[in-house]
Amino acid sequence: MRTLIYRTHTLKKLALSLTVFSLVITGCTDLDEEVFSEVTEESFVPAESDIVSVMASAYTPLRYVMDWQGYFDVQEEPADMIVTPTRPNGWDDGGTYKRMHFHNWDNTQWQPRNTWINCFNGINSVNRVILQIENGQLPVSEEQATSIIAEMRALRALYYSMLVDTHGNVPIIASYSDELPVQSSRSEVYDFIVSELSAVISSLPEEVDQSTYGRVTKWTAYQILARVYLNAEVYTGTAQWQKCIEACDMIINSGQYTLSSSYSDIFSAQNENNAELVFAIPYDQIYAGQFNAHMKMLLPDHRLVFGMESQPWGGSSCNPQFIDSYDPNDKRLTDTWLQGDQLNASDGSVVMTLVKEMPSIYFCEFTEGYRCGKYQIEPGATGALNNDFPFMRYTEVLMMKAESLLRTGQGAAAAELVSTVRERSFDNPADAVVTAEELSGDTTVAYGTLAEDGSIDEAGDQSPVAYGRFLDELGWEFAAEAKRRTDLIRFGVYQTKNWYNHTPKGDYTTLFPIGLEELNTNSNLQQNPGY
Amino acid sequence: MKLTNYKYRSPGFPRFGNRHVPITLFMMLLSLYTFAQQTVKGVVKDQNGIPIAGATIIEKGTTANGISTGFDGDFEITTSSETAILIVSYIGFTTQEVLVNGQTFLEITMAEDTQELDEVVVIGYGTQKKADVTSAVATVKSEDFIQGNVKDAAQLIQGKVAGLTISTPSGDPTAGSQIKLRGISSLTGGTGPLVLVDGVPGSLNTVAPEDIESIDVLKDGSATAIYGTRGTNGVIIITTKSGAYNMKPTIEYNGYASMSIIANEMDFLNADELRQKWDEGYTFNGANFEDFGSSTDWVDEITRNAYSQVHNLILRGGNETTNLTASVNYRDIEGIFLKSDNKKYTGRVNVNHAMFDNKLKANMGIIVSEQQFNALGDGTSFNPYIYRQALIRNPTEPVKDEEGNWFERDVYFYDNPVGYIEETIGMNRYRNVRFDASLTYDFNDHLSVKGLYTRKGNSNIRGFYQTKNHVSTVKYGQDGFASRGTDDYVGNYGQFTLDYNQSFGDHRFTGLLGYNYEDNTNEGFWATNRRFPTDGFTYNNIGSGQGLQEGEAGMGSYKNSDKLIAFFTRVTYNYDDRYLLMASLRREGSSRFGEDNKWGYFPGVSAGWRINNESFMESATWLTNLKLRAGFGVTGINAGANYQSLSGLNYGSYFLYNGQWIRSLIPSRNANPDLKWEKKEEINIGLDFGILSDRITGSIDYYNRRTNDALYNYSVPTPPYFYGTIAANVAEVKNTGLEFLLNVTPFQTENFNWTANLTYSTNTNEIVSLSNDEFQLTNDFFDEGYTGEPIQISTHRVQEGQPIGNFFGWKSVDITEDGIWLIETPDGEIIPATEASTDDRQVLGNGLPKSYFSWNNTVRYKNWDFNINLRGAFDYQILNFSRMFYENPTISYNVLDSAFDEVYGKAVLSDVQRYVSYYVEDGDFLKIDNVTIGYTLPKDVLKFAKDFRIYATGLNLATFTSYKGIDPEVNRDGLSPGNDDRDKYPSTTTFSVGLNFTL
Repeated sequence: MRTLIYRTHTLKKLALSLTVFSLVITGCTDLDEEVFSEVTEESFVPAESDIVSVMASAYTPLRYVMDWQGYFDVQEEPADMIVTPTRPNGWDDGGTYKRMHFHNWDNTQWQPRNTWINCFNGINSVNRVILQIENGQLPVSEEQATSIIAEMRALRALYYSMLVDTHGNVPIIASYSDELPVQSSRSEVYDFIVSELSAVISSLPEEVDQSTYGRVTKWTAYQILARVYLNAEVYTGTAQWQKCIEACDMIINSGQYTLSSSYSDIFSAQNENNAELVFAIPYDQIYAGQFNAHMKMLLPDHRLVFGMESQPWGGSSCNPQFIDSYDPNDKRLTDTWLQGDQLNASDGSVVMTLVKEMPSIYFCEFTEGYRCGKYQIEPGATGALNNDFPFMRYTEVLMMKAESLLRTGQGAAAAELVSTVRERSFDNPADAVVTAEELSGDTTVAYGTLAEDGSIDEAGDQSPVAYGRFLDELGWEFAAEAKRRTDLIRFGVYQTKNWYNHTPKGDYTTLFPIGLEELNTNSNLQQNPGY
Repeated sequence: MKLTNYKYRSPGFPRFGNRHVPITLFMMLLSLYTFAQQTVKGVVKDQNGIPIAGATIIEKGTTANGISTGFDGDFEITTSSETAILIVSYIGFTTQEVLVNGQTFLEITMAEDTQELDEVVVIGYGTQKKADVTSAVATVKSEDFIQGNVKDAAQLIQGKVAGLTISTPSGDPTAGSQIKLRGISSLTGGTGPLVLVDGVPGSLNTVAPEDIESIDVLKDGSATAIYGTRGTNGVIIITTKSGAYNMKPTIEYNGYASMSIIANEMDFLNADELRQKWDEGYTFNGANFEDFGSSTDWVDEITRNAYSQVHNLILRGGNETTNLTASVNYRDIEGIFLKSDNKKYTGRVNVNHAMFDNKLKANMGIIVSEQQFNALGDGTSFNPYIYRQALIRNPTEPVKDEEGNWFERDVYFYDNPVGYIEETIGMNRYRNVRFDASLTYDFNDHLSVKGLYTRKGNSNIRGFYQTKNHVSTVKYGQDGFASRGTDDYVGNYGQFTLDYNQSFGDHRFTGLLGYNYEDNTNEGFWATNRRFPTDGFTYNNIGSGQGLQEGEAGMGSYKNSDKLIAFFTRVTYNYDDRYLLMASLRREGSSRFGEDNKWGYFPGVSAGWRINNESFMESATWLTNLKLRAGFGVTGINAGANYQSLSGLNYGSYFLYNGQWIRSLIPSRNANPDLKWEKKEEINIGLDFGILSDRITGSIDYYNRRTNDALYNYSVPTPPYFYGTIAANVAEVKNTGLEFLLNVTPFQTENFNWTANLTYSTNTNEIVSLSNDEFQLTNDFFDEGYTGEPIQISTHRVQEGQPIGNFFGWKSVDITEDGIWLIETPDGEIIPATEASTDDRQVLGNGLPKSYFSWNNTVRYKNWDFNINLRGAFDYQILNFSRMFYENPTISYNVLDSAFDEVYGKAVLSDVQRYVSYYVEDGDFLKIDNVTIGYTLPKDVLKFAKDFRIYATGLNLATFTSYKGIDPEVNRDGLSPGNDDRDKYPSTTTFSVGLNFTL
């Protein structure tokens, strides 16, 4: 009897427990994620105010230009001006700068990969914005849609104008699809840039004011066109000098831009209102702190010279061969390069003395080599400058036109344009004048590799450079503006000449290899020839 | 271990070891109808006088007349005659026979059974008799723990468990141990085991080391499968010291004081040596450019003899219905660097309560701790940058200039280390609380149900300030820099289990059914500011800085949460103590998994054959145990971060739009609805043996574990993806190894006893694959590890078909007369390093030891005890960063004396700093790790004390190695193991004297 009662109780209690158990189980199997401080694609519904933020993502990758191992390095390190030797505080960096100087990079070289990554970042963002507009995710009016899409397509062409120059055979991605992108040839990319810009140019804004500052306008589009026409022979085998002149004339005739009366004003910390900026990449110490190229070039002790609130890293300086090519009366020599005694900002005492000579890429002292001081360093400057980067400026328009004129037998007109540009850089106006004959002559840079004592070690190819003196003009005017590599290739110097510790490696080096990671992730990509 | 712990002695609860249980229970019912001739009452106690509940008493010669003791050890049995003999038995004690001999009250004292097979092992959600265990499980009890100044619970069992590697590479008093079980099974998931503190997920720091009774380690997949997504790296089960019913009140004190010194110092040029170099004609750039006239030992300036003290007090006791444990712990640990410390207070109260005929048992517990330490880095403890500055500083510089300011120079990344310490004010304070409550109800002897709920919380507040005399202002114009921050964690843990056990003849069976729920929520806030009007506020008035107005202040906050839900079941079966089987299944889901993969199954099965209990082995009396085990289990590693399966958008950098800076909105993560746990399958085969009355016992285990679906962040093309990487379950990793454990008692006499314990383990690791159909690497590798400035190159390569931990760099074989490295390329060509490219790199060694060894000895002579532990790791390499950076006379900082030695006996180095094989050294070592000598006062000296022992102990006493760095036990975590970072907080040697007593 007792046993039986005992069992009944047990069963009841057990039943109760199991009921509780099953209640607990059914109530607590929800595994949905609760999101608090993140935005997920699923939960995000864009409002009208978000359009700028969405569009912004297509522009912000451009700021990598003056960022660490950015476009500046891609355009300057393999060229004949900027050299980054080993310094007392390092700078061998696994040989990365030497490979850039020697042109013996491989497909893991970071600087060219960085260009690929950031340009495609921008391109993907453009495509995403267009997709979101086209499928109605972004609440915009039809008129807004047309103008945003035009601006985005022109911006995409800008990114491709960089890629066609660095990697050449890149995939043209004109929309967001599920397919792996297919590679295009360099001339297809060129055609794409030209056709895209031609298609949207009439829908782009013509105003040059605060509302279009740092954004693609009609004039920016013409300057991108002029740039690719200028290099069309390199990109496609067919020169387009006349088309380049026409594109330049569109900008010149717009009357929107004039030459800056002062060369250094173009690069000042508050250069946003400079009259010759066609397309600037805005930087800001607080909001957009990626302009750190100065940290790479200045010495640690320049902190005292400029009263900085940061200590630069002291790597890159200027190849003495290029310094030697300057006309001593050319003020750009001192406007561009810090040299000689560097004075303490507070008491005027000599902090250090910069010498021109740079014994070897394998080792230079801190003070060896002139440093780029072109971009104004404000007192209190940190690791990020306020200076906006003059990615496209009016002088370049005049020089592109001049080069096209010169190469098409209109030397006098070319010389006149170049003399106009030079005027602001010489105290004596007569010194500024150049002739067509001069511009058509050989370069004044004494090419050849240098021994440690600065003498020519191995002269290499000494054949004259056609229009070499015009190339020099480009160098003096646009020194350290992330253009030199493109110019050297167009004038045939990049592939043929020796300089500093560099000897030519062959035509194939005019394109960078496609990065290992990029090849890994997209089986449609073929490596560029020669790699 | 004394079996006085209530947890191991659940009255009326399954006692797997006793074949008489069902009979006894049957008899209990029968005995209701009494017809006996004598009734005997009594009580059963252990040697300490603590009553034993649940002991079995049976009349000899009958099979039916038996009973179990009650909660206070009491019993009442009616025997067939006055001369009956009672057989008294209980798990962990020697079974004895007691003559009734007409007595009506018996006080029976049971002796502990030293046979370890009867010991109880804590397995997931329950316990099991060691003899019944069929998987790889290890138990370490408090008397076998490492003694002295240990960092956390893990260090207590360092070198005690084969296959479980515990190292303490950092000397920072706030740093913990590194734990690795059976190799590296994951690429990104780490090697951290699941730590359970009294059954609830916690950490190695939840309770004080002195408060721990025993630590059980579940090693193989068949044992840890019941912990599902967190079982791969093993489960460490910490059981705290606790009271028992009918336990006489005791007070236990355990305390020690210690002194730590730097284990080994590197020889940098001192002032005299530097001056001698100048005299020899050497010139240097940067730091050692000129003589500043002083002689400063910079490392000496920032180090000290570190004195620490630890005190632990435990109160325990109970009556028949309630028992209680309360403990307090205080640790005050100094680091060898100035302002490097760690103070911690821990308090714990645990109450057990039995009601309704002891059928309902309630438990409530609270664990509270507070930890505080100085911050020399923002949000961290000691800042290793300071140590670097002391090493590389010119020894002729004074600490202060003539005006009393810190002596500073404008050399690249070069700051006065003493000034750095003295001008930094910082504090981090952590608080942890944990409330536990559980109810257990025993329906009868076969079935019980348990519910448990725990709420956990951690919070911290941090403050950090660099004064206006700190280099942040003196050099970088911060004008005072302050930072404050706080984090908060709240977690809920609930568990519900049903336990069942039954026996039929030789068949014994247990079953478990359970559910558990866990959620975790983390949130936090931080702010920084600069340009303060005064140093007086330090970090306490952060709004007074002007940096906020200037756009130079920083601020942030976050919140995230995750959930883990599981159902589980387990059955065990024992046939005649010969054939053993255990099978478990867990179905578990995590909110972190992708939409399509929220739930997974984790089965585990293992079987054992106790060969010595077979009839054909009867004649082998020398053999006390021989058990063959085999198991298979599936476990996981949870996805590392919350929300990894969801697509993410981020308000990123700013864009200038019409004169205003607008934040851009960018994709920050691709959605991966397939994201799931990293699945690991493991086979374990083992053999346990005991011979010569268990004077020699041991076990051998072989394991083969294969991780499929290991997580890695793969680069993906954009488009079609929005973001350039995706976390995907792709890679496969394999680990195989052998583990040996041997316990030997070479001498065992009344006055002299020597026990030795040896462990040896091997591990072979291989990356089987890094690609699948969807995610591929065209090359079968990726590079990991980083030398840092100025060398700037990766140190390791993770490659298919190769083990994790391969050093990958230039193989240096010689040096030119000019002191430039000569590199042997993979093709065998020898070229100067200046001409070598990244293609000329090759595998230079591996940072993970292939085998580990330990040898622990305990000798007792009368009242003296002596312990010595040796530990070693073999067949691996270390990249000596200190030599790579400082054994080079060309650099612009102070250098090692050895920088002027001729490399390969040929020339002094005059190359730039490079990562070459010359700095990859063999790391093999043998350490005399822990030596302890103790004296226990004879019982009659201090009458009031039950136990009184004093001891002296040393940790990390001597290392035998050819490695030239400070300590060959370097960081072995992550995918770049074996990198001996130049800034690593040096390990220490510690001497302690301690006192334990029980009143």
